[in-house]
Amino acid sequence: MIAPVIRERPCKARRGVTVRNVAHVLVVEDDPSIRSALIRTLGERGHAVSSAPDAMTGLREALDSRPDLVVLDLGLPDLDGTELLRMLRAVSAVPVIVATARDDDASVVRALDAGADDYVVKPYSAETLDARIRAVLRRTASPEEEPALQVGGLYVDPRSRVCTMDGEPVELSPREFDLLAYLAARPGQVVSKRELLTEVWRLPYGGADKTVDVHLSWLRRKLGENAQEPRYLISVRGVGVKLVEPAE
Amino acid sequence: MRRQILITVAASTLLVLLAFLIPLAWLVRTSAADRASSEATLGVQPLTSTVGILGTGLAGVVADTEAQLGSPVTVFLGNGDIVGSQRPITDSVRLAQGDVANHIAPRAFSASLPDGGREILIPVVGLEAGTAVVRVEVSGSKLTEGVATAWWVLGGLGFALLALALLVADRLARSYLGPVRALTDTAALLGAGELTARVVPSGPPEVTAAGRALNRLGARIGDLLKAEREASADLSHRLRTPVAALRLDVDALSDPEERERMSRDVSELSRAIDHLITEARRPIREGMIPACDATAIVGARVAFWRVLAEDTDRELTVSVAPGPLRVRLVPSDLADAVDALLGNVFAHTPDGTPFRVVLSPRAGGGARLVIEDSGPGLPERDVMTRGASGGGSTGLGLDIVRRSAEASGGALALVPAHDGGTRVVLELGPPT
Repeated sequence: MIAPVIRERPCKARRGVTVRNVAHVLVVEDDPSIRSALIRTLGERGHAVSSAPDAMTGLREALDSRPDLVVLDLGLPDLDGTELLRMLRAVSAVPVIVATARDDDASVVRALDAGADDYVVKPYSAETLDARIRAVLRRTASPEEEPALQVGGLYVDPRSRVCTMDGEPVELSPREFDLLAYLAARPGQVVSKRELLTEVWRLPYGGADKTVDVHLSWLRRKLGENAQEPRYLISVRGVGVKLVEPAE
Repeated sequence: MRRQILITVAASTLLVLLAFLIPLAWLVRTSAADRASSEATLGVQPLTSTVGILGTGLAGVVADTEAQLGSPVTVFLGNGDIVGSQRPITDSVRLAQGDVANHIAPRAFSASLPDGGREILIPVVGLEAGTAVVRVEVSGSKLTEGVATAWWVLGGLGFALLALALLVADRLARSYLGPVRALTDTAALLGAGELTARVVPSGPPEVTAAGRALNRLGARIGDLLKAEREASADLSHRLRTPVAALRLDVDALSDPEERERMSRDVSELSRAIDHLITEARRPIREGMIPACDATAIVGARVAFWRVLAEDTDRELTVSVAPGPLRVRLVPSDLADAVDALLGNVFAHTPDGTPFRVVLSPRAGGGARLVIEDSGPGLPERDVMTRGASGGGSTGLGLDIVRRSAEASGGALALVPAHDGGTRVVLELGPPT
């Protein structure tokens, strides 16, 4: 496995960071407007960005410049992105985030089976893509470290997807587990429903969407509490929800 | 079809057999009667030659002839004497003797007897005592001797021919039905959405041609669905790619307020596109025969939302008719529609507002879902129109529910409830 190369590069970022470790991100995207927007927005977030407009150029660039991560569109003009991913995987272990308009299950499964590390459906925000890039780089740099989360008597292990409350196992649906893990990773921090919908459901926010609320209600039930007498999950009216260690 | 073929062959074979066997049976009977008559005539022929010369020995010869033939023989002499079996002088005997005075010549003939037998009368002319008549009586049993056996043989032959015809017809029907059954099985599989199903064309030329046509049809449907899938993927690519560029550009705006506002707009645009793509993919998602049990889906979705009702102090009354209530939607589409309607209740009514969910059978098949709340009621604007909803939502939820309802052959209606709240009626059609 090729270790990710973290290059030192001075970067004048617009959002306050002046010098930091930068990752070299290769964007393989045929749409010029998205390509230039990604170069600009990822550059602003402290990444060194190179780009390729088609699969063959992208493959050559990936082999020549050895990027730390590849953001890959699937709908490329000369070769399907999944094929490029397979070719890339044959010669390199560089992390790949597939960023595409295809959202059907078959495409997602094909891309992940072909070796993608993550999958983002267009239209994604720069913030989301940046967060995914950082998460994938973190995972790739130290694959063994994805710490279990402990908040009071609540224990959440994202690797084994195990949740216990005071040592007793808690049965959660996949979505409930993701929701709890997201909140447990930010203990005491109010997380908006919009953020939850975007980051856990990966859906655009619709304002009146009650999906998050009903899943929070289920989570409360399974954690042995309710909205009237919350212990771990505290709703902050008009802002969001936070996971806290219950006061004795 | 096999039964029809067998009935047709049985009927036609039976007609042909009857057309041949009935005349043949008649012929056999007539032939037997003629044979018995001929034998009797031939048997008394020597007697007619010797009536005039035998004198007193005539009685012995008549008795011998009777014994030989096994039938009563009578000789009516011209002087009125009767030799042999005693029989009265009937009109037939007189007719056979003739009447010289009245110029009626003697004649030989046979006549039927009332007991089913036959009498044969032969005149002997040129005798001194006048014309004598030799009469021999053939009984009914002699006339039909051998007929029953012949008829049994004919009947057995007819039955054997009928059985043979049915056997051949059955074999023939099987050879026709095998390919036809394969054809209908393949058509049923295609109808059920198994688009890779193909038939091996065989059987009569027409059935083979139909098999080839069905295979072409299956391939064509597969091609069309593939094209539709590709068009849908292309639609997704063409619509989402510019929005992705727009979102990235919006993220780059330096004014936080403007960025927030534009971001919200792009999110709404993105949701609208998602719904558009979802709708465009409906035929692919649904396949050939979309169907699900509304009882199970509605029950599960209400159970899912009940916890939020409890957390928001809402009294929830549920009445679900015993299932199954089959409707023309895929389970995911019905679940999405129910989620959208229940989500609307939570989104547009204050906490503590009671609501009711009633699922009942619909006249003519399908199901009728009514969700009624005691909230503030409908806003004045047309909430069914895409994007017209208030409450901070995109207003796409109801539009999707309406489209699902219409796709199932039903409809969606929003009316004021009796207590001033909102009553949503979702009519869902039955599977076709």
